[in-house]
Amino acid sequence: MTTATGRAEPSRTSPRGEPGALRAMWQHRVDYAYVLPSIVVMLIVIAYPIYYTIDLSFYKTPPSLQLRDKIFVGMENYTAILSSDVFWRVTWNTVVWTFGSTVFSFMLGFGAALALHRDFFGRGVMRAILIIPWVISAVAASYIWKWIYHSDFGVIGAVLVGLGITSRPPNFIDNVDTVLPALIVVNIWREFPFAMIMMMAGLQTVPDQLLRAAKVDGANAWQRFWHVTFPHLSSVSTVTVLLLAVSNFNSFIIPWIMTGGGPSNASHIWITHIYELAFGRQRWGVASAYSVLLFLILMALGYFYVRALGGNESKDRGT
Amino acid sequence: MAHVVLKDLVKTYGSFNAVNHVSLTVNDGEFVALVGPSGCGKTTTLNLVAGLIPITSGEIAIGDRVVNDLDPKDRDIAMVFQNYALYPQKSVYKNLAFPLQMRKLPREEIDRKVKDAARVLDMTHLLERKPRELSGGQQQRVALGRALVRDPAVFLMDEPLSNLDAKLRVQMRSEIKRFHQDLKATIIYVTHDQLEAVTMADRMAVMNGGFLQQYDSPAQVFAHPVNMFVASFIGSPAMSLVPLEATTADGETVLTSAEGWILPLSARNARKVAAATSNKIVLGARHSTIKLHKSAVPGAVPAKTYTVEPTGDITFVQAFLAGAIVNISVPPTVAVAPDAAVWLEFDQDRIHLFDGETEMALNAD
Repeated sequence: MTTATGRAEPSRTSPRGEPGALRAMWQHRVDYAYVLPSIVVMLIVIAYPIYYTIDLSFYKTPPSLQLRDKIFVGMENYTAILSSDVFWRVTWNTVVWTFGSTVFSFMLGFGAALALHRDFFGRGVMRAILIIPWVISAVAASYIWKWIYHSDFGVIGAVLVGLGITSRPPNFIDNVDTVLPALIVVNIWREFPFAMIMMMAGLQTVPDQLLRAAKVDGANAWQRFWHVTFPHLSSVSTVTVLLLAVSNFNSFIIPWIMTGGGPSNASHIWITHIYELAFGRQRWGVASAYSVLLFLILMALGYFYVRALGGNESKDRGT
Repeated sequence: MAHVVLKDLVKTYGSFNAVNHVSLTVNDGEFVALVGPSGCGKTTTLNLVAGLIPITSGEIAIGDRVVNDLDPKDRDIAMVFQNYALYPQKSVYKNLAFPLQMRKLPREEIDRKVKDAARVLDMTHLLERKPRELSGGQQQRVALGRALVRDPAVFLMDEPLSNLDAKLRVQMRSEIKRFHQDLKATIIYVTHDQLEAVTMADRMAVMNGGFLQQYDSPAQVFAHPVNMFVASFIGSPAMSLVPLEATTADGETVLTSAEGWILPLSARNARKVAAATSNKIVLGARHSTIKLHKSAVPGAVPAKTYTVEPTGDITFVQAFLAGAIVNISVPPTVAVAPDAAVWLEFDQDRIHLFDGETEMALNAD
């Protein structure tokens, strides 16, 4: 059988392999048919907007929706953005927001996962309660937190005054120095359950025998964590941090609803700023240029994400 | 090295008794195998000795020290696990060094001990590799090395060979045996494979249902099993057990079968039967002590062959006798057909008799 097929093969495949590739495609025609609808949808709702955004980023647009009156300005939108103070302010805010939210959400989630990994009474209830912030609507949560932080009616202020710590309720979100940390706290509260779930799943894959071996070898609880548990979780940690970073970089709901970027841009991050430029002030060209820059940064993050995943796969193949 | 004493050891999980009043002494430098089927409590016993699970009651002493309340790290033990339990992110060198680092030994001493162990186990060339780059046998040797560098009072081994393929298992079996002989190490070795226990151990503790059944040298356990469980568990193929009934014919004690044949007993065997609690007697015989005849001979009992398994230098025949399956071995030159009538002759000096009620071995005195 095999020799017969081997002899028949060369006549169909050219040395360059092109007919072979075509034949392979033809053999997989049903697979192509299956993905075709999604490809078409993707082209309409993703590829075309990306193209149009890039195109628009080279134009000055009138402050109306009359986009046919746009004027080609080349790279002017980009130079204007990169030389503006607001750009650097917003970028710094975004870095602080993304970094702070990601690091603390991850650490808090990991800590919660480690605690919930132990067997204790009421563990199931605790787990259910801790997941709540992640499953409720972000919009509702933002409004509630806005009230919690409120300088006149907020519960935090009332408690602080009640305890005699301050004489007047502190003003969290109308203060340029405290607004960003205050929003980051809300964001951490909202997304640490995600890290918790990821790390809990990871913890279940730590081989019990390794932990017992480390115990016999004389490792204390911290050393067992550092030498066995944590290295075992390195890949799931990487994926979790990257997913958190990308989602934080793209955050919109919490800052937009709670402060709208204010006061005086102190809580503007990239997405809220772009949204305001485009849909608040109709500066489509500048907003498009911002979007292109954001797109490039996210692509870079995405590249690292895929590479982190790929690295794990090759590691698994090695075993 | 040190001796280990288990005194009245009990481990219960809720109402389930995993280990039931087990008492045994492992002498200094002795290789003891805990052997039994799955769920017999052998691994639980080992984990109790290691301190990985708390004991319910009883006492464990390593050397002259009662270790009941000590952490595993303070018990001066080293353990080898079934899945090797090597740290996957660490090189072989770091795996070997880990237990020494945890004991805060000076760097030079760690280096010397690791290199010594690597030399003893012939894996100096593997020191920089990661565990996943090693074969199963090499991984198990690293696990052995990690136990060795510690120079512990007792080595605990939990089915260390059961993940290896058959050929490697035989090879590693002799390596571990050699390791024991060279180091004069005290080893407690858990296995479900009776052949491993018989070939490696100085003494074997046969366990079943959380109870210690018999604790003796492999030769003694093989020759004088204390009950039907031990008789059927040790030896391959297993000892054949045929349920029969004791009666008296012409003043002589004989065994009769439901099929109607009669097996006369020697005076010594008749005395054994007299000690039984009822007339239900189970006849036990190992395959090599039964003679197979193709025609009726005096003293032989009729049976019917079921399967014939040639292994090359010996052929195993399974036959139905009084409703039970009996294993017989014959030279490969003897041609036996399945479903053929044969006659089996038992050696009066080498048969075992068990009390059909208590399942205990019957003794002449």
